[in-house]
Parts: sequence; structure tokens; C-alpha cells
Amino acid sequence: MMVMLEILIYPFILRAFIACIITSIVSSVIGVYVVLRGLSTIGAAIAHSALAGAVIAIFLGFDPVVGAFTISILFALLLAYSGEKNRGRVDITIGVLFGFSAALAILFISLISAYTASAWRFLIGDVLGVSEWEVYVMSFFSIIILTVMYVFYKEFKYTTFDPEAAEALGLKVRFYSYLIVTLIALTAVICLKVVGSILTEVLLVAPAAAAYQFAHSIEKMKALSVVIAISSSTVGLTLSILLNISASATIGLMAVAIYFTSLILSTKRRKCKAFIEYSRVASRKSKI
Amino acid sequence: MSIVEVHDLTVSYNGEAALYNVSFNIAKPLFLCIIGPNGAGKTTLIKALIGILKPIKGYVKVLGLDPSRDADVRRLIGYVPQRERINSSMPALVRDVVLMGCLSLVGPFRWFRKADMDSVLNAINIVGLRNLLNEPFSHLSVGQQQRVLIARALASNPKILMLDEPLSGVDATSQEIVISTIRRSVDNGVTAIMVTHDLNPVLDHIDALMLLNKTVIAYGSPREILREDLLVKTFLREVKILRIDNKHYVMGTDHHA
Repeated sequence: MMVMLEILIYPFILRAFIACIITSIVSSVIGVYVVLRGLSTIGAAIAHSALAGAVIAIFLGFDPVVGAFTISILFALLLAYSGEKNRGRVDITIGVLFGFSAALAILFISLISAYTASAWRFLIGDVLGVSEWEVYVMSFFSIIILTVMYVFYKEFKYTTFDPEAAEALGLKVRFYSYLIVTLIALTAVICLKVVGSILTEVLLVAPAAAAYQFAHSIEKMKALSVVIAISSSTVGLTLSILLNISASATIGLMAVAIYFTSLILSTKRRKCKAFIEYSRVASRKSKI
Repeated sequence: MSIVEVHDLTVSYNGEAALYNVSFNIAKPLFLCIIGPNGAGKTTLIKALIGILKPIKGYVKVLGLDPSRDADVRRLIGYVPQRERINSSMPALVRDVVLMGCLSLVGPFRWFRKADMDSVLNAINIVGLRNLLNEPFSHLSVGQQQRVLIARALASNPKILMLDEPLSGVDATSQEIVISTIRRSVDNGVTAIMVTHDLNPVLDHIDALMLLNKTVIAYGSPREILREDLLVKTFLREVKILRIDNKHYVMGTDHHA
């Protein structure tokens, strides 16, 4: 404990913990919709397009965050549009765009050999190198994302549950689908500096998928997802500092470990099986 | 003013007509059942009546308004889609599902009020599932889930109920409850339009029947149009009507649409 308090004296470590907590909250809340809407592959593709955007911006001399935002939102909207037009075969577009963004990123990394280290930070993350300015940017966009999610809470919830009935009830299902992927793109950019494009997908999916095993309402799933994400990122970061190993890797491994543990401990499946069995017995008794 | 007025309706998917020249009129509250073979356009017709699909020819008027243009009319419709189209893996409690029915009354940027929760309680009481209000929707049996979806449709006190295959995969007890719930609503002045692939459970309870195969083959009271020649024309295969103890049973239509 004393060691922990001692390391928090260093501003860069304190900033790293703040960045981890901000990223965990945003990614785990939006991650709930990524999991429930089956958008996990889209999340991975968007994270890689954010990397391509960051690297292109470095090559052109812009702020990499601006490049990451622009390209990831563009790709996200393209994926959403493609999903709408090619129902059931969106995997083809995802595969092509995934490869395209990865190829773009590799191409521009090779072109900016002088800045390869900067580009590399976006690929594998560099949470200990997060600047004060970057914490402000992360906080600003996180507040925007969480505000939008709060304002359209019931719309997101019900268009996820039953899009057809939601449309019949007058909700603009298409608008909310596009809005969700735009928010995923923004979240991917926020995650980029903390865990890098490779592990962004883990932060988006693993905490929400673990929470899914225990939650019976979307509200509980969100709350549990946030707790799991903050736990895995802060414990992962602490371990990485104490053991002097990669922070993004330990954060990712912690999240995945919690996910697999949740699969083993899942109360949901047990309760569901028990309830179905109870219903069967009750139904048999009522017939008798 | 007619409750539902459909004139020369044509709806297409990818350039192919899913429905053509459909015309019918509902002047007073009744229980209408629509039957037809796979791909007959039954679900398409329901979607056009709700306003989700726009006609390429003709028009639909619900309570005098065009549902594809006037969102206000959707507040007067309770819709029960096919259960398979619902994301049943999503964690949701029964009360959350029924509360969804009040969405059209609340509108954007506002949260549900106490009055909406009262409507939820009233609707769930109607389908007899008050004791399951706080249970996860995914834990319910198929029949119970269907009753919850009907409660959701009833939560906004609709003038019209549109139900797409509400009896599909439902056990006999729940079928009876679903049908009697719809019948009671009709007796209280609601118009119910129901698509089904199995006419037998509902035959004694409906006021009107429509035989549909891309276009209306016959529309009228079940007594008038429940004839083997019309059913063969609709289903394009052999269909028998059995009469046992003054009751009719249709054999050979039971294929999912």
C-alpha cells in the first residue's frame, strides 16, 4: 500500500491512473452496446482505422488525435452504412476495411521513420506517457460521449432490444445506429493512447461481456461493466509499474482474465436453467 | 371515418412486388385474422399498415392519417412483431419490456413518468403476469414472452392492435390467454389485425378473415369465405375443412409465413 502511495507522487503515474479510469468508464459503458448489438468486430476495425488516422496525421504534420478522430468516424459511418445495405454480409466490408486501415497504418509508419516511436505508441499504447493536455482532451470527449448516452438512454436501450417495434413506435432506428458507431469511434480514439489500437477492442468488449454473465438488466450490466473495467485497468497498471512490464498488455490481460473467470462463475446461466426447470415443474403440476 | 382504409396498395422489395393491388376497409372495431402461405406478404402488409414500409402505389390510411408520414398515428397503434426479431439475449426485466410500449407517449429528451408505470401495471395485469414483473424477460417461456409483448402493445392504450404471428411456438394455455386478451380488447373498442399461420385456435374468436397471397384473395366474415376453393386458391395446394361438433378445422395451412 505504501509503495502504491509513493508511486502516485509522480505526476506521470497519477495522470496514467486518471487516463485509465476515464477510458475504463467510457469504453465499458459504450461496450455494453457493442456487445448487445454484436458490434465487436466493428469495434476492432474502428480501432485500427483510428491508428491509421493518427499515423497519417503525424505524416502530414497534424495532431495525431485529430487524424484519429477524422478517419475513425469516417470508417465507422462507412461500416454502419455498409451494414445497413448488406444485411447479414457486413463481415466482408469489415474485413476489407480492417485490412485497408491496417495497410494504411503500416504504409505511413514506414514513411515516417523519424517518428516511428510516436506511431508505435498508438499501436500498443503508452499510458505512462499521457500528457496533461491529453487528459483534458480525454475528459472532454468522455463527457460528451457519456452525456449523449444519458440523453438518448431509452432510445439506445429499446432500439437495441427490438428495433422493429422501436421503429413502429416512432423512433429513428437508423439515426441511433449511426450515432452508436460514431460514439464507438470516439471511444476508440480515447482508448488509443492508453492501450493502443491492438487492445482497444479488449477494453470495449471484455468488461461488458463479463458483466453480461451476471446482469439481468441493462442498468446493472453497465454498472458492473464499469466496475470490471476500472478494476482491470487500475490493477493492470499497478502490476505493470511494480513488475516493470507493458501497461497495455497487463491491462488487456486483466480484462481478459476477468472475462474468462466470469464465464466460469456465470450465475446467469445457472439461474436461467433453474428458472426454466422450475417453470416446467410448475407447468406440469398445474396440468395435473 | 374508417379505422383502416387500404386502396390499391403495392409494396415492393428490391424491385419485386411483395404485395399488389391490395384494397380493404375496416369501418368498425373488429378482430381480423390474415392468413396466407409463406411469402404471401402478410408481414409486409402489417408493416405497411404501421408505416414502416412505404407503398410504391396506392395508399394506407389509419384513422384518416398516413402512418408512413404522420408519426402521431403510430401512438394509436400497438404493435407485436414476430418474437424472433427481438434481441432476446439483451438483459431486460419484464417491466422494462412493457415500459417500451409507452415510448411513443413520452417522446425524446424525457424519461418515463409515474403514469407510464401505472399503464405498465395495468397492461401486465391484463395478460395475467403481474407476478413476473421483475423477472428477466429471457427467463420466461415462449408463451409468457408473447404475453409480455402483448402487454407492451397494450401499455399505450392503443386504438388498433397489430400482431404478427403472436401464436407461433406458444403453448396451448398461453394461446388461449393471448386470444382471449385480444378478444376482450376488441370488445372494448380496439381493432385487432393479426397475422397467423394457424387459423384453428383463433377461428371461433375472429370477426373477419383475409386470405392473402400477394394480393387479397378474399376478405369477409369467416362464415362467408372459409371455403376450400378459396383456401386452395390462396395456398396453391390441397386444403381441407373439417366440421366436427359444429366446429371448423382447417387442415393443411399450418406452414409458417
